[in-house]
Amino acid sequence: MRRVSVEGPSHPVRLVVADDLRRTRVTVFFRLILALPHLVWVTLFGLAAFTLAFVMWLAVLFERRAPASLHGFLASFTRYAVHLTAYLSLAADPYPGFTGGRPYPVDVEIDAPAIQGRWGAGFRLALAVPAFLVASTLGGSVALGSAWGGALTGGVGGLTATVAFLGWFASLVRGRMPRGMRDAAAFAIGYGAQTTAYALLLTDRYPDATPGTARPAPELPTHPVAIAVDDDLRRPRLLVLFRFPLVVPHLVWLTLWSVLVVIAALAAWILALVLGRVPQALHRFMAAFVRAVTNLTAFFFLVGRQFPGFVGAEGSYPVALTISAPAPQRRLGVLVRLLLAVPAFLLASAFFGVSLVVGVLLWFAALVTGRVPRGLRDLGVVSLRYQAQASAYALLLTSRYPDSTPALRAPHPPAPDLPNPVAA
Amino acid sequence: MKPLRLAVGLALVAGWIGLAWLLWGSVVPDRLTLPHVDVDGVFGSELVARAERFERFLLILWVLGLVVSLATLALYARYGVRFAEESAAGPLGTGMLLGMLGLAIVWLTQLPFTVVALWWSRRHGVSRMGYFDAVFGDWLALGATFVSICVALLVVMGLARRVGSWWWIPGAAVFTAIAALGVLVSPYLYTGLERPDDPGLVARYERLERVEGLHGIPLRVEHVSEDTSQANAFAFGLGPSRRVVLWDTLLDGRFSNPEVDVVLAHELGHHSSDHIAKAIGWFGLFALPGALLLMLATRRLGGMGNPRAVPLALLVAAAWALVTTPAQNVVSRRAEAEADWKALQATRDPEGARGLFREFAVTSLGDPSPPTWAYVLLDTHPTLAQRVAMADAWAARRAG
Repeated sequence: MRRVSVEGPSHPVRLVVADDLRRTRVTVFFRLILALPHLVWVTLFGLAAFTLAFVMWLAVLFERRAPASLHGFLASFTRYAVHLTAYLSLAADPYPGFTGGRPYPVDVEIDAPAIQGRWGAGFRLALAVPAFLVASTLGGSVALGSAWGGALTGGVGGLTATVAFLGWFASLVRGRMPRGMRDAAAFAIGYGAQTTAYALLLTDRYPDATPGTARPAPELPTHPVAIAVDDDLRRPRLLVLFRFPLVVPHLVWLTLWSVLVVIAALAAWILALVLGRVPQALHRFMAAFVRAVTNLTAFFFLVGRQFPGFVGAEGSYPVALTISAPAPQRRLGVLVRLLLAVPAFLLASAFFGVSLVVGVLLWFAALVTGRVPRGLRDLGVVSLRYQAQASAYALLLTSRYPDSTPALRAPHPPAPDLPNPVAA
Repeated sequence: MKPLRLAVGLALVAGWIGLAWLLWGSVVPDRLTLPHVDVDGVFGSELVARAERFERFLLILWVLGLVVSLATLALYARYGVRFAEESAAGPLGTGMLLGMLGLAIVWLTQLPFTVVALWWSRRHGVSRMGYFDAVFGDWLALGATFVSICVALLVVMGLARRVGSWWWIPGAAVFTAIAALGVLVSPYLYTGLERPDDPGLVARYERLERVEGLHGIPLRVEHVSEDTSQANAFAFGLGPSRRVVLWDTLLDGRFSNPEVDVVLAHELGHHSSDHIAKAIGWFGLFALPGALLLMLATRRLGGMGNPRAVPLALLVAAAWALVTTPAQNVVSRRAEAEADWKALQATRDPEGARGLFREFAVTSLGDPSPPTWAYVLLDTHPTLAQRVAMADAWAARRAG
């Protein structure tokens, strides 16, 4: 097994992935039924853990440090929740143990108790609200769900639920989980574990939403639709306050433009069926539209700082989307493109949910501090990239399937656009 | 070059005067002398005092708001160009951003005045709108305002970059065309209008329509009684989109049928006199020198093709609007007076008109005889006292 740390080593709660992507079809098929004993157990385990968390809270308030025994118990619960979430979401294959004490292909390392601030501990639940929001839209923690008796929905809601749903079909057909989807689920599980640990006072470090900070980083495959960020984190408050009305002219413009894009896409589809490739002019026209939408979304959700242009010119925005030149495409893939794009659209809608929550949180953060946190900003970039890749795939700008790997900066320049099997 | 400029200038001035003369016409007799109206006697001294008190506060608020907005725009003209750094949108897009931000800052500075004015109106029972609705609804409406400023800047900056310093001539024409288009389509976009459910009202409306030589202009009712107790009506649209709209506050029993008829006839009078088309003409006449002024004022900053000129252009446009407001109000009051006269001709009921204007003072707490400066700067309609006087004058002519 290859071990990939998905979170940075400096955080006291680190996710470690040692999964080989292989899945046993029969356990995949019956996954939910097989997990039923765990779903009962995690509810009871969670009840005990959240009761003891109150004792932990009092202990940290008085002593500023968690007692080792309590810390150990709650850490076991957090690890167990990670194992179970990974199993449910198909991020891992083996049946997990019931104690959280044994190693698992998707696991967390939790540091020993450390000194914590009393103020931070006293208001921990209130402080954790933004992290809860992100965790719920990522959906990577049965631990948080078990707090209100919804282990399953807490574990595989939002992005993780979509990954699990699509991964179920993919694993049944291929006997393997697509790497991008596994890494997306692992990232969500890692964030959920950090949020759980923060809420349970295992650490006072706030959850880190930065995707792909691991060593070694998750492998980000080269893709014809790539995104590069050359932006700072400052956000002038005036532009933050008026974000919504400022984008209204763009929305009007893009609505009008989208009518032409639909016609262009239809023409591109017919011509690609005949010629085996999309003509350059149509490709350029639709690529500009996808860039304009991505630039606007980046600005609206505060992922980008500057007001974007209206025509989607390449390289015109600090959160720069690049789309490779048109390349030959298989006619069969072109013929059924919209059908093939359905899973990508499902995942793109889950990523849009992530963008939305990220945007709301960044709006408040930027209004107060005049800056946006890097981790959330980068999570927004990853979400936007997937949405742009899904649009580009549907509009025949590329034949490469969207890739959901939660990492930034490809190690190599964008790949040439060659026919490629589904990579999700 | 100079003779060409002179020739163009003279042609424009001559055209301006000729068109203004054409638009100035009115059916109100030229030598109509309005009799003196005893305001206290007609409206009641208590109501007059109350209305004066109500409006005085709003006038002070208006002056303060105006000073603050002009000061804000002056500061923005000086420092607003710094926001150009926040744009990755090229010259036109940057100009749009600067224009929108200028309006956004002015909106922010006006927010306290909006809230205080609402508090005052609620206190006097004139408005029922909630504070949240007023502020948040206004914030959402900013989006529509931003679209307008973007279109305006697109026209101005696009033309300035194409045709240089002569942009103001085609610019004024394009603005006028856009205004006409807006007037034409706005009735189709206006939501919340319903057909009247009173057959008697519809029958009276259709009779008045025939009297005024019109046919097939729909009558609609707008429900505003949740937000205000004020009564109002308006005519809008061009050609096939023409409409007459009554607020439901006119139909809640406070106004008698003859009084409502005067309102209907007044609004139909706007359509029969082509006031809306004429208003577009006047808009063009005011836009032309306004655009010239913008061109001259922004020349040292590289002209309107340069986004750095936009903050200054906002200040100049606001100042131009303020300076020309008295003249625009004269034009508007003349049209309203003509509609009043046509309403009297159509209904032949000066008593109904007097009753209507008295009731307006009650429901809107409008000062029947406001201070002259407020009348000059703010009143788009004749004062209530002048409107009563016109009804008296019409009755006197009829009797004589």
